[in-house]
Amino acid sequence: MNTPTVPSPRPRVERWRTAARLVRDLVRVHPKPFAVATAGAALFAVCTVASSVVLRWVIDHVIDPRFNDGHVAVSTVLTGVGLVVGIGLVRAVGVVVRRTFAGVAHWRIAETVSGQVVDHLVAQPLLWHQQRPTGDLAARAGVDVDASVDILSPLPASTGVVVLVVVSAAWLLYIDLPLGLFAVCIFPVLIGLNLSYQHRVDRFYTAAQDHLGRLSAAVHESFEGVQVVKSFGAEARETERLSSIAWDLRDARVSAVLLRGTFESVLDAVPALANVGIIVLGALRIKSGDLTVGELASMIYMFTLLVFPLRMIGYALSTLPHALAGWGRVREILDDPVGADPAVARGVTSDMDGLSFRDVSYRFESDRPVLTNVSLHIPRGATVALVGTTGSGKTTILRLAAGLIGPDSGSVAVRPGTCALVLQEAFLLADTLRQNICFGQTYDDAEAWEALDSAEGRDFVEELPNGLDTEVGERGVSLSGGQRQRIALARALVRRPDLLLLDDTTSALDPATEARVVANLRTALSDATVLMVASRPSTIALADHVIFLSDGAVAASGSHDELLEASPLYRALMEAFELDRGALANPGSLPKAGAD
Amino acid sequence: MDTELGDRPGAARTLSRGVQESPILRQGFGVTLLLAVVGAGGRVVIPVVLQQAIDHGFVRGTVKMGVIVLLAVISALTIVVAALCQRAAVRRLGLRSEGALCDLRVRVIEHIHRLSVADHNEERSGAMVARVTSDVETLADFFAWGGLAWLLDGALMLIVAAVMLSYDWLLAIIALAVATPLALVLRYVQRRLVAMYDLARGRNAAFFGSVTELVTGHETLRAYGAGPVLSLRTKQLAKQRADSFVRAGTIGAFLFPSGEVFSSLTVAAVVGVGVARGPGAGLTAGALIGFVFLTYRFLEPIAEFTEVLDQTQSAVAGMRRLFSVLDIPIGPPEPARPVSLPAGPLSIDICDVTFGYRVRGEIDPDEPVLVGVAAAIPAGQQVALVGSTGSGKTTLGRLVARFADPVAGQIRLGGVPLTQVANADLRDRLVVVPQEPFLFDDTIAANLVFAVPGRSLADLERAVAALDLDDWLDTLPDGLLTKVGERGNQLSAGERQLVSLLRASVADPDVLILDEATSSVDAMTEVRMARALERLAQGRTTIAIAHRLSTAMRADRVLVLENGRLIEDGPHGTLVDAGGHYASLFAAWVSSSSVGGTALPVVDDDDERSR
Repeated sequence: MNTPTVPSPRPRVERWRTAARLVRDLVRVHPKPFAVATAGAALFAVCTVASSVVLRWVIDHVIDPRFNDGHVAVSTVLTGVGLVVGIGLVRAVGVVVRRTFAGVAHWRIAETVSGQVVDHLVAQPLLWHQQRPTGDLAARAGVDVDASVDILSPLPASTGVVVLVVVSAAWLLYIDLPLGLFAVCIFPVLIGLNLSYQHRVDRFYTAAQDHLGRLSAAVHESFEGVQVVKSFGAEARETERLSSIAWDLRDARVSAVLLRGTFESVLDAVPALANVGIIVLGALRIKSGDLTVGELASMIYMFTLLVFPLRMIGYALSTLPHALAGWGRVREILDDPVGADPAVARGVTSDMDGLSFRDVSYRFESDRPVLTNVSLHIPRGATVALVGTTGSGKTTILRLAAGLIGPDSGSVAVRPGTCALVLQEAFLLADTLRQNICFGQTYDDAEAWEALDSAEGRDFVEELPNGLDTEVGERGVSLSGGQRQRIALARALVRRPDLLLLDDTTSALDPATEARVVANLRTALSDATVLMVASRPSTIALADHVIFLSDGAVAASGSHDELLEASPLYRALMEAFELDRGALANPGSLPKAGAD
Repeated sequence: MDTELGDRPGAARTLSRGVQESPILRQGFGVTLLLAVVGAGGRVVIPVVLQQAIDHGFVRGTVKMGVIVLLAVISALTIVVAALCQRAAVRRLGLRSEGALCDLRVRVIEHIHRLSVADHNEERSGAMVARVTSDVETLADFFAWGGLAWLLDGALMLIVAAVMLSYDWLLAIIALAVATPLALVLRYVQRRLVAMYDLARGRNAAFFGSVTELVTGHETLRAYGAGPVLSLRTKQLAKQRADSFVRAGTIGAFLFPSGEVFSSLTVAAVVGVGVARGPGAGLTAGALIGFVFLTYRFLEPIAEFTEVLDQTQSAVAGMRRLFSVLDIPIGPPEPARPVSLPAGPLSIDICDVTFGYRVRGEIDPDEPVLVGVAAAIPAGQQVALVGSTGSGKTTLGRLVARFADPVAGQIRLGGVPLTQVANADLRDRLVVVPQEPFLFDDTIAANLVFAVPGRSLADLERAVAALDLDDWLDTLPDGLLTKVGERGNQLSAGERQLVSLLRASVADPDVLILDEATSSVDAMTEVRMARALERLAQGRTTIAIAHRLSTAMRADRVLVLENGRLIEDGPHGTLVDAGGHYASLFAAWVSSSSVGGTALPVVDDDDERSR
């Protein structure tokens, strides 16, 4: 990732070296099936040449005697027929072996490499993940690995083609040197045509792929925002915008098909014309007695068989750029050392405290300070509300306490034991509710229901068709925001945590349910230290203690009532709800927003 | 993906409709076909020329060079002409099919945009996108490979069969006889292969899904130490995916060489029978050798054909799905003779409106969404619609915006029935601010200009000032040119709502339908929004679908809906004093938002479960 790119004087050579390294690294993962596949391809190549030898034998020893001399021994005919079938079968075996084992190599290597990427992704700390877009990271273990491994599928076949070209060239030259030379000279022309076609058409296919991606994103956006589109009467404008992308796609596809029409015809015509040349030259050689009719037919047959495999080379090379790009992105993940786990660096609190921060400072991306010299002591078993405007550092405090990130300076200490964090956005796996609550550990149903009771989630789960076994997500039911939050909360509670961290978890619930949940926490987890980010005055009032954050520092702390007295800023924030209502009685007294 | 209900039109009907709806495809198809046949002729030149050379050029040990050269010239010319014809055929088919696909795509997009909002719900939006992208793509794949194969290979097989028959009828029958079981075997293997690939694709999606979960849920997974468990699950899915792809690959590995095996069997049979019959039956050595070559040419396309058959099937299925979208009737129809809306502020008359959503084309009589709702809203009045989830308040807003028409009753705008107002006229005068403020992945300015194309940056700045949002604009890195990201994810929920309000203000409508957002924003943003809203609503007839009671308090009049019926109607103060449903809602809300308050039980249940 951080290796400086040395400008290479010969980028082409460098590219081939990179490709060779990629093949070596991948094949090394599962070398055996790859070797078997290559052997199968070689067998196919040898049999292809052998079938042309057999054809020559059949013409010279069976057909020619029968039609020119009138008779041929039955045993000779049977030998010829047997040879044709035998070679055909072995050739087919070669293809089966090559394709089967190439598939095994491809998918097993993909499985292993994606497993390695997954391990790295899981091991990297939160900070590492935050610096990278999630969609991009998911692609590394999926499409990027697949793209890299794609380089392998055509490789055994291409190796077979190389063997085929070498053996058949030798065979053609052996049968008749001058005629063989003529035929062999056509090989590079065909290979060159194939490569040039592949190279030129790829540009259009890539462009078409880009346009399709653009179209897909734009259509998605336009259909998703259809209310806005309709609301402003913009249907025609939107159709116009999307159809211009559809036309770009059409243009790229048309360019590709026009090119394809030309090249397909040329690639059909060139070998056919070369065969005509071979017949004329062959006739001269037959005239001079250097060639038999069987040999001539065998050469033409050989040449015909070569045309299709030669196309493989162009195909194999077309996967190269994608594979190299994909592999580069995979290596970035695999080569990046796994960062230290900040949870390990947390200290242990004194007996009295459930959580303590000492002079903690934290900066986001090393320039924007989020927290400055924050010190907190939260007594064991206390329920503390964390209050502040957006961007005041509430979530960062919870992340530090949970050991997801480490402070830049100062220290965080927790009591040994279980810590559970519930985020503002509940994350649920596309799995059963039971799995979402147990989340990788084992709890019995009674424990799960008890946790759901405290999270005020029992009623709705009981109403679901399969109770705890209900699947959520794409293939199952979709839950409302409040329901998702209650499942996430039950996940935390079932663990009976010693330290419970709630990041505005209950705001999606109605005020009464929220109040019941907070009350339940007190009875169910009487010894647990609870630190919760809250915004509703009615919820904040339920906490033993309030910590008021402003601009990354503790502006005030104490009970809700104390803070209302002591901190005008806190009072302003709390009263925003009320002032909004009061304004109706007193028009003109709206607070000037931006007082933060 | 939604499955088609009712009777599915057969493949033939779907295809013929496809051809009917795309006149470009029919244009000069006969010529294309002729060109393809001549083009395919080029591929049998070599076997024929070899046969001719052996039979007439190399006679009993002597070589007639004149005959050979003549043959060479004729065949070279034939090859060149055939190549030109094939090129023309491929290009003609390509041009026309791409043109037809592009037309079809645009038509489907246009149709979907014109569907009623009722036909656009979250679950269907993905399916609609799939119609325009993947379904059209299956057709594109078909034309690029399958359609071309039907054209070129079909022509080739025809010509080869004709040449074979002209050489020797018995040998031709042998070749054809072998082709039949080959086609059957290939078809069988192909079916299993398709089933296996379906399974593999399903597992592929499961694996990709698990990887995405692993990354998006990283913070939660880490907080619970559940990373290793999920990583194990992901690896198991990767293994299952590999297993099924390997199995599919193995089945596929037998598919291609079966053509080889059959070719060798046919060649052996042709040689055996040909030699047995000998020259006495009128067969020549050249014809026999030519036959061997032709056999390969004849059996080559069969393997391709079995694949093409599947491609054709999925193309027909894709076409059927596309037509099923085109068959959904478009939203509220445009009036034949539109009446223009009067100038100035507009009143809204809701006259005994009843509405129900269609279930399979029928209005569900058991679950009416609105029943006999009536209210006369004078021009310039600020109305709040209040009611629990499912009370019908959002639907009523949609009906006033004419996203759908009532089943019974009528809505009049400025005295003109909505059904007589031209859509363009209506959209000029009435704007909806949806609950989820949808933003396009562009700048704030571009999102605002969406309301009225052609507004300058200065116009937009004036709109910002008019809603008293300059201070907010100053906090953005690039002001109005700030990029909002996909669905506006670079902005906070509150900021997205502000942009949505600004967009409505740029449109400067006379009627405003406001579906208030439910998501929580911090108190300061909420105050800022309330102020902007108040300014926006000034002088316009406004219907706010209120989720916050502060909005209802601010309104001139509150309409309380419950189970699709209007149960209370009056100013906030009057309703509170009346001590009805609204009064209890209000008491609960006051209590939870008071500085020293406690939460009272609320009648309104926020929970909403959709499937």
